[in-house]
Amino acid sequence: MDLFQFLQYPFMQRALIAGMFLGILLAGLGIFVTLRKMAFFGEGIAHASLAGIAIAILTGFSPLPVAIVWAILLALLIFILEQKTKLPIDTVIGIFFTSAMALGVILMNFTSGYQPELLSFLFGSILSVSVIDLWIIAILTILILTWLIASRRQLTFLSLSEEQAIVSGIPVRFQTAVLYVALSIATVLGVKILGIILVSALIIIPPAISRLHAKSFRAHMILAVLFSEIIIVFGLALSFFYDLPSGATIVLVGAFIFLISFIFSNK
Amino acid sequence: MIQVKNLSVVFGNQTILSHVSFDVNHGEIAAIIGPNGSGKTTLIRAVLGLIPSDGEVLIDNEPPSHVRSHVGYVPQRFRFDPNFPITVREYLDLPKPHVHKHEHAHKLKEVGLEASILHKPLGSLSGGQLQRVLIAQATIHHPSLLILDEPSTGIDIVGEEQFYDLLKEQRDQHGTTVVLVSHDIAVISNVVDQVICVNKKLVCFGPPKQALTQEKLSELYGKTDTSLYFHHRHY
Repeated sequence: MDLFQFLQYPFMQRALIAGMFLGILLAGLGIFVTLRKMAFFGEGIAHASLAGIAIAILTGFSPLPVAIVWAILLALLIFILEQKTKLPIDTVIGIFFTSAMALGVILMNFTSGYQPELLSFLFGSILSVSVIDLWIIAILTILILTWLIASRRQLTFLSLSEEQAIVSGIPVRFQTAVLYVALSIATVLGVKILGIILVSALIIIPPAISRLHAKSFRAHMILAVLFSEIIIVFGLALSFFYDLPSGATIVLVGAFIFLISFIFSNK
Repeated sequence: MIQVKNLSVVFGNQTILSHVSFDVNHGEIAAIIGPNGSGKTTLIRAVLGLIPSDGEVLIDNEPPSHVRSHVGYVPQRFRFDPNFPITVREYLDLPKPHVHKHEHAHKLKEVGLEASILHKPLGSLSGGQLQRVLIAQATIHHPSLLILDEPSTGIDIVGEEQFYDLLKEQRDQHGTTVVLVSHDIAVISNVVDQVICVNKKLVCFGPPKQALTQEKLSELYGKTDTSLYFHHRHY
């Protein structure tokens, strides 16, 4: 078995490049998701994106751009509602996540026949990454990462102590809103390969593994991205060679590395 | 420096502070005192513009939100996940990066810490060390106004003396105005220029020797024996 055989196929090359972009993006954002204890956010946005995908299928538009716009709107609504009502964020997300998913199920009811797009969004598919999807993933990843790298200290400070961050002049509300929007975009992009059901795993697992080893924030960021890339490359390769669903294989590789790290770490 | 006029804070049907007015001048150290639940922390948060309030607060003749980059703030509670991997140096750099290594070391020395802790995880510090790091971070960029909510909590008596020396140094060398919440009347009366006594409203205000009369302390704490408040420590 040629280990690099899978790289000869264009669909696999696209999946791997998309996966490597997503690996950096989801792990980078995941650090702040785990720090802020908002792991439910990725889960909620991913499930809520079903309604966006259903709208796209019903109207004949490309699912990815419609799902991205839908997720951005939801992220902003969650942010506004969180600010206005002072409800805990997991409660706000819970309301939107279930409502939007229910809307998606109702809308899907109006589509007729077999929907391969829908299945690939639910469980992820390495066959589903088109050249246009790859460009969208690459451009949005570069934009979000540029903001993330520039804002990493501000995001850390406001996540550790919001009041101190406000007093030190950091635009806390703006940066929080951008974080929510960035996270919603990244989640929808990740749905292409990992699927709605499993995408949030790549936001949580690499930063969780990294925290078992890192002693500084810099090391935490580098290790999270490194583990994320290892998980994606091994996961995609295994899913190709053993004809397994890509999302589930990637998540199980991540869970296995977490388990090994947990056993051998002293935290 | 700070002008507070008729400041009131109401949460729901509950009045936390009612018509509080005072001024703190440039380069003064002022202490807010009062019993538990008297509104001291609320007063600080209202002065910083962190909570909605009625009345007027001006810092250098500007609303608090306009001058935040010149303010250092140490909150009463800093709750964070001690397992989050961040070193002391990384934490000191969060508000504004690109501080030279020797400045970190100098600032840590000022608050009574060794430079060797710069590379230690923040979560591995003791309560007293963490409190000193918070103060170091709040003062590293020499703010014109420093606000501290019960800053000596967790610091031992020797450290407390060092801490008040640090406040005086900030005032004398950098012209920093300092406002702090404190319970230790005996100590602050020898250190501060002004006391602001609150118990839902302003009970007394002025230089400690004039403001802290037995009558006012009784009104503030509801007790008559003022020796209870003074522990014969002088800095």
